[in-house]
Amino acid sequence: MMSKMPLAMLSENEEAIVVEIRGGRGLVRRLSEMGFTYGAKVRILHSSSPGPVLVSIRGSRIALGRGAAMKILVNLEVEKWQ
Amino acid sequence: MAIRVAVIGNPNVGKTLIFNNLTGGKAHVGNWPGKTVEKKEGKCVHKGVEMKIIDLPGTYSLTANSIDELVARNYIVEEKPDVVIDIVDSSNLERNLYLTLQLLELEANIVIALNKFDIARDLGYEIDVNELSKLLGIPVVPTVATTKEGMEELRDAVLKAAREKRKKRKIEVSYGKKFDELILKIQRAIENDEELSKKYPTRWLAIKVLEADEEVLKIIDRSPCKHEIVNQLLEMKG
Amino acid sequence: MSKKIREILGEDAEVAFAERRYAVISEILPKVLKGAKPLTRSDMLDKALLNKYLGIPIFLALWWALFRFTFDVSTPFSDLIDMFFSWLGETTSGAIANEQIASFLSDGIFGGLGGVLVFLPPIFFLFLGLAILEDSGYLARAAFVADRIMYKLGLHGKSFIPMLIGFGCNIPGIMATRTIDREEDRILTILVNPLMSCSARLPVYILVSGAVLGGYAAAGVYSMYILGIALAVLMALLFRRVIPYFKGKPSPFILELPMYAKPTLRNTLIHMWERGVLFLKKAGTIIFLGIIVVWLLSSYPWNAVHVEDKFLLENSYLAMFGKTIEPIFRPLGFNWMGAVALFFGFIAKEIVVGTFATLFGLQAEGPEEVIPALKSSGIFTPLTGLAFMAFTLIYLPCIATIGVIYRETNSWKWTLFTVIYELILAYVVAMAIVWIGGLLGYA
Repeated sequence: MMSKMPLAMLSENEEAIVVEIRGGRGLVRRLSEMGFTYGAKVRILHSSSPGPVLVSIRGSRIALGRGAAMKILVNLEVEKWQ
Repeated sequence: MAIRVAVIGNPNVGKTLIFNNLTGGKAHVGNWPGKTVEKKEGKCVHKGVEMKIIDLPGTYSLTANSIDELVARNYIVEEKPDVVIDIVDSSNLERNLYLTLQLLELEANIVIALNKFDIARDLGYEIDVNELSKLLGIPVVPTVATTKEGMEELRDAVLKAAREKRKKRKIEVSYGKKFDELILKIQRAIENDEELSKKYPTRWLAIKVLEADEEVLKIIDRSPCKHEIVNQLLEMKG
Repeated sequence: MSKKIREILGEDAEVAFAERRYAVISEILPKVLKGAKPLTRSDMLDKALLNKYLGIPIFLALWWALFRFTFDVSTPFSDLIDMFFSWLGETTSGAIANEQIASFLSDGIFGGLGGVLVFLPPIFFLFLGLAILEDSGYLARAAFVADRIMYKLGLHGKSFIPMLIGFGCNIPGIMATRTIDREEDRILTILVNPLMSCSARLPVYILVSGAVLGGYAAAGVYSMYILGIALAVLMALLFRRVIPYFKGKPSPFILELPMYAKPTLRNTLIHMWERGVLFLKKAGTIIFLGIIVVWLLSSYPWNAVHVEDKFLLENSYLAMFGKTIEPIFRPLGFNWMGAVALFFGFIAKEIVVGTFATLFGLQAEGPEEVIPALKSSGIFTPLTGLAFMAFTLIYLPCIATIGVIYRETNSWKWTLFTVIYELILAYVVAMAIVWIGGLLGYA
């Protein structure tokens, strides 16, 4: 059993692995092509709750609104994936 | 002799500047027919060859998600330009290659302009251009659009690619045993429709069918091969 | 049938395929790329600029700096253009015998056109400033900082950039809405975009503020921009609540933030030039024609207007037309000249100024500096001047913008809706200004 939590709940500088995207087809598609796929490493650069969050993923910086960030589920045990 | 060259890339890669460098800043701006997307065309004459350069919308991918993507994709698939320049941001290589892989599946004749090479260097990146070219099977030209470095080499590479047309073996993405088999089966079904097979790359169609791509499914819907395809899919599900 | 296929397949393949592609890239990458750094200078900069508390104040400060820069740097150029066209006007009116041709050239062309081209420098510098902000990568940050607020207002974070661009010109602003995925969000942004005070309205503000607001001229101009933003926000909220089509939350905000880059002079100038040239082309064609029409209508019937040494504007076709529509505007305190200027402003907002320039030029029988002319004519009081500026801000987009709205929305319905709601809003707001000001004791 893997523990998943929304990306939105991470704090600044935390790292996690993307596990699932729970959303409509359009959202899943867009996030997938931007690199948010299963196993991708994500790092929170900036979080201004309840505002948008800025993450680093696959070498680029992506800003996500709260809504999208809540739909991306991640796993914090980064070491297990190395 | 005149060749048609399409220019594509992610947003923010410096596509506009490279387009301007190629066309000397003179472009004709209009609209893609029936769409609200801007169409920019220009010309470039290099070593006696006239190149018609078309600027495709900046996009991350070639799905049926947005008009921009569809316009870009349809141009490549239907107009079959002689060369497609894929502008890749060197400082953002990983994500940029996603579009490159999609272009390969579209069987476009690609030349990669590895732009912002100076920025990548400043960031401490070391990119093995030759290895990248070898692994992808595509010519790769480092460029710095802001100083016009690499532009001459890019033009040369485009001419060469137009003449040689896909001689090298290019990388192909394997989607896993189960899917690869299914893709092959659907490809066979599509090949029965001669008209369709001539117009579109069959492997690409098969992949898009499995992705439930709305526009491709509409195309398949009008083809006699659709029944066979549905059978294959039901078999897989069952 | 495609529906059937989609039912069979679901979404699994699509997600799996995206994964596989990235997996392939992950295999290639270590063989070709070395030396990745976790944090860059760009990231450090973002830590400061995106700060929860400092982000918005920094943005407002930058925006203010942009406008100050535009005004201060462009003034000497504007003065030069003004002097040049005045000189042209004087020389031709002296050198040509035929009265009508002399007037046509001197008052019509040089006076009217010159009056509009004087505002070319501020417009170019505004575009230059916007280009710098865009090329440096800051504009994306502005969208990020704004998203929190935009979301609460029922707008998409990505609506912010088109609205910022709208300050330069509504046309590229409306075209920039293409980055917004959901059609409902896109159309909503397009509908309120014309309320972003475009650079064509700037001449009107400068003219009227300069004439009647005295020391408060700069504040008067700035207030129009704030008014525009406030109204855009209000209308967006209103439409979202009242019109069923717009109900529902904005689509998810996903935006890549490019690295900060030092804007290259060449690139920025290209951007500035592309947009500035659009304005020049407008000036060359539409505005030019509009000004000729104004000159014609105000100079004829020739003999009725040019009696002995006097110039009786009241006898011109223009005045006749103006007086006909004047009653509509009287409650707002605009006289027939204002009415006429607004009418021609439909073609292009710059013509509002061009109209005044032509009219005053003609009245004084030579090219005139428009601002003092407006001041001494007493057409506007500070209060009605403010109302006039507000009316110009809101009343409807210029013809070119209406054309773009139609093209981008693909709908007569929405285009017509924009025109109508803006006309009504303009009248209401101008009326409110005059009324409230009257209550407060300003005449």
